[in-house]
Amino acid sequence: MTIRILLVDDHPIVRQGLRTLLEGRPGWEVIGEASDGLEAVDKVNQLNPDVMVLDITMPRMNGLEACRVLRQKAPELEILFVTQHDSPQMMREALDAGARGYVVKSNAARDLLEAVETVSQHRVFTALHRRDSVNSC
Amino acid sequence: MKLRILLADDHEIVRRGLCALLQKHEGWEVVGEATDGREAVEKAKQLKPDVVILDVGMPNLNGLDATRQLLQYDPNFKVIVLTITDSDQVIREALDAGARGFVLKSDAARDLVSAVDALQHKRMFFTPRVNDLVLAGFLDKGHVMSKSEPPSLPTLTAREREITQLLAEGKSSKEVASLLNLSTKTVETHRSNIMRKLSFHSIRDLVVYAIKNNIIQIEMPPQIKTPPTGSPAA
Repeated sequence: MTIRILLVDDHPIVRQGLRTLLEGRPGWEVIGEASDGLEAVDKVNQLNPDVMVLDITMPRMNGLEACRVLRQKAPELEILFVTQHDSPQMMREALDAGARGYVVKSNAARDLLEAVETVSQHRVFTALHRRDSVNSC
Repeated sequence: MKLRILLADDHEIVRRGLCALLQKHEGWEVVGEATDGREAVEKAKQLKPDVVILDVGMPNLNGLDATRQLLQYDPNFKVIVLTITDSDQVIREALDAGARGFVLKSDAARDLVSAVDALQHKRMFFTPRVNDLVLAGFLDKGHVMSKSEPPSLPTLTAREREITQLLAEGKSSKEVASLLNLSTKTVETHRSNIMRKLSFHSIRDLVVYAIKNNIIQIEMPPQIKTPPTGSPAA
């Protein structure tokens, strides 16, 4: 299954880590990156991705605001938050803003692939709770 | 012969990004990874890497205290600290701890290769802001803090700092004892000493102190909408 993905995080090194993980899956393609919410809105308009992987805390426009804007402008886009905030309140806020998925950054290596697959099928994926694992690069 | 690098960050996704970045460089090899400062110290002792890259904000033992422990064990370790903030206090603590490189996480994709390269060639690497502070001569002036800065930790021993971090992370005395291979009674003695030295009466005070002094780090969420008190939840 082909999935076209847009990565949005203000830290390039996090985007690199996410890209490494996602591009290991055959057929999945990271078609673009953005470093804040405003740039994400522009890139969605230009690239029309299937799934956007979105951070919350970012400069200029945070992920929650970007999610609300894009919910109106790109209703077909599936939005998955990958965030440091391991908080039910923040997860609720993210889903209310229109996201389909929510993954905690510390668990991204474990949860991200399943989450992207799930939201790409228009189903909800949420996972809180820290559980670290170590994989070599 | 390859330059051997040990990498410590509590987020696997960050480690993956850093690995991908570093391994593009021919002649460099990531020989080990760690998820907290304690594991980093253990692995550094075992693997004896040429360069150790430590995130500042890690659980169990933060990157600054891990730097102190490593350099106390062997002053020849070359440490780069990665941090989300370049506040004066973090810079000062990193330099005091003996780090030879200081890189902002947000700039790591740009600066980390330069930092490793600098250490490989027996130089140091700091962000422009660190250089400004050093040039301003604060090192020569000792550790005078401005009134707005929180106090440093002159009265706490390395062991007390470790225990402060673990308690501030919410661990019980029993859990701390297990992590540090101490008896619960010893941990409770340390805990009493810490509270007495700092004139604290609650763990809440200790948590605030740990945050202010970069023993633990927290990321503040953006302002989120909450219903007014008394109104039904959305």
